[in-house]
Amino acid sequence: MRVGPVAAPVRAEFRKVVSTRLWWGLLIPVALLSSTINLFGGAFTAAFDEAERLPLLLGSLAYALGLTSVFAAVHGVAAAAGEHRHRTITTTYLTTRGRAPVLLAKMLVSAGVGACYAIATVVTGVLAGTVADAGVAFPGVAPLAATALIGVAVSALWGALGAAFGTAVSNQVSALVALLLYLMAGELLVGALLDGAESRSVRALSSYLPGNAGEVAVYGIPVNEIAGPVTGPQVVELLAGVTSPPGWGVALVVLAAWTAVVGAVGWLVAARRDIT
Amino acid sequence: MPSRPTTRPDPTNLVQDDRTEGITVRELSKRFGAVQAVDGLTFSVEPGAVTGFLGPNGSGKTTTLRMILGLVTPTAGEARINGLPFAQLPQPARVVGAVLEAQGFHPARTARAHLLACAAAIGVPDEAVEHALGTVGLGDVGERPVGDYSLGMRQRLALAVALLGDPQVLVLDEPGNGLDPEGIAWLRAFLRAFAAQGRSVLISTHLLAEVEQAADHLVVISHGRCVYQGSLAQLQGSRSTRVLVRCADPARLADALAATGVLEIDTLSGGWLGVAGTDPVHVGDVALGAGVAIYGMVHERVELEQLFFQLTTDPWRAA
Repeated sequence: MRVGPVAAPVRAEFRKVVSTRLWWGLLIPVALLSSTINLFGGAFTAAFDEAERLPLLLGSLAYALGLTSVFAAVHGVAAAAGEHRHRTITTTYLTTRGRAPVLLAKMLVSAGVGACYAIATVVTGVLAGTVADAGVAFPGVAPLAATALIGVAVSALWGALGAAFGTAVSNQVSALVALLLYLMAGELLVGALLDGAESRSVRALSSYLPGNAGEVAVYGIPVNEIAGPVTGPQVVELLAGVTSPPGWGVALVVLAAWTAVVGAVGWLVAARRDIT
Repeated sequence: MPSRPTTRPDPTNLVQDDRTEGITVRELSKRFGAVQAVDGLTFSVEPGAVTGFLGPNGSGKTTTLRMILGLVTPTAGEARINGLPFAQLPQPARVVGAVLEAQGFHPARTARAHLLACAAAIGVPDEAVEHALGTVGLGDVGERPVGDYSLGMRQRLALAVALLGDPQVLVLDEPGNGLDPEGIAWLRAFLRAFAAQGRSVLISTHLLAEVEQAADHLVVISHGRCVYQGSLAQLQGSRSTRVLVRCADPARLADALAATGVLEIDTLSGGWLGVAGTDPVHVGDVALGAGVAIYGMVHERVELEQLFFQLTTDPWRAA
């Protein structure tokens, strides 16, 4: 695997991404969802008496960031598999030395797009939350920045994972359907199966599925701020549908590991694929 | 359409041209499931010439070209460009450019954006994009999405991509598809000029007429096997002519011709003889010497088309 000369393919992939409408076509719903969700988050905060108000905006922001990571993944899948759909992969492989740098460049650029989606989510979300309630319960800069950074990391990882998945599956429609089915139903199903297990350690495994790991990571800080360190983990269990979740740092590492695994699969498949 | 092909003589390329070794294909085979698409193919593409890669549809041309370009992994054998397998070329697009049949474009991306992405991947400056667009005559329509392009325009855009890295080797798979006659004539002149700089061109087609006018060398394949490799002139010379002669005594004339070393003689119906490997003057002289009256003589030229047909319908015969 040759991954050294990746600067040229990264530039090429970046130019491919910005020369079609896909990236901003997905950015629009990201911004709309985030402003709507955080408008509610702010309004809900304002519904309480000033003395009892909690920084609920952090929670709504985390929820929006979780949804954004799905858009980041969709972008990665669509961009990578789109090269096979439009048969531009032939030209890509003819102009780049080796297929590993191509995959790596796609993962990096899609990670960048995912990060941008998360930033857009934070910006629109905070603006909407401010509009709804700029009162005393507005979250502090530190937890807000931490939540935003974790959200950016999660979306970036999902973007890279999506690009690797799209490379491995290569059929754009199948890859998108498989990704969305897994995130919306597959992981719930696996989580439910794990949850039915006798042993608590088996039940705890559900936090280590990629979708749940991302959620556990983004909810970590906000829930701690809202519910405190004692009840926080229980709230995460509820929100992410997991049992005894790890901290946000471990969850991020878990998601990064999944990204690496899917990346390795994408590489193995792409290296052997005949482009006919 | 540009009035004349633009070639890019550049002192640095002339130095590179001396190192051009063209393409060598050795014992190349590819099996797709039960289908043996390419079967022990061996040939070479020399620099300074246009090599036509000829075969009927489904004979394995596209698979061979894609194996040369590292897109398809051979089951056995190897292909090298300038002495190296494609995957080991340090900067592949600077060595070989390709126009392939199923090479696609994103319909919503403009031609210029497509070329800019390729230029970034190759590592050539953005100015090369304008040059390439101009060379293929798409300078005025570069801002249009490729979805609006005709098939011929797409072929020219594919050629522009192939030329971006200023390669020493060009590989073209059925480039005539979608081009109008003017475009084909332009492409032919372009390839000639490209080869004249000491570079290599491999152009596949199932239409003999296309290579007849453009190629110096010919590689003919059938059922994934090479059935002829050599110059076009050699192919024509080796089996192009036969003299048909009608005479009073075919047997005596045949004996007389055999005595002069002409041995490929077929006895045809109606008193005709088919004499290969000689010319009408020799046949007439021999007949006069043997005292055989001649009633008619036809100099039959076997058309290249017919030869091609013979070569490719029976893969075992002509190899």
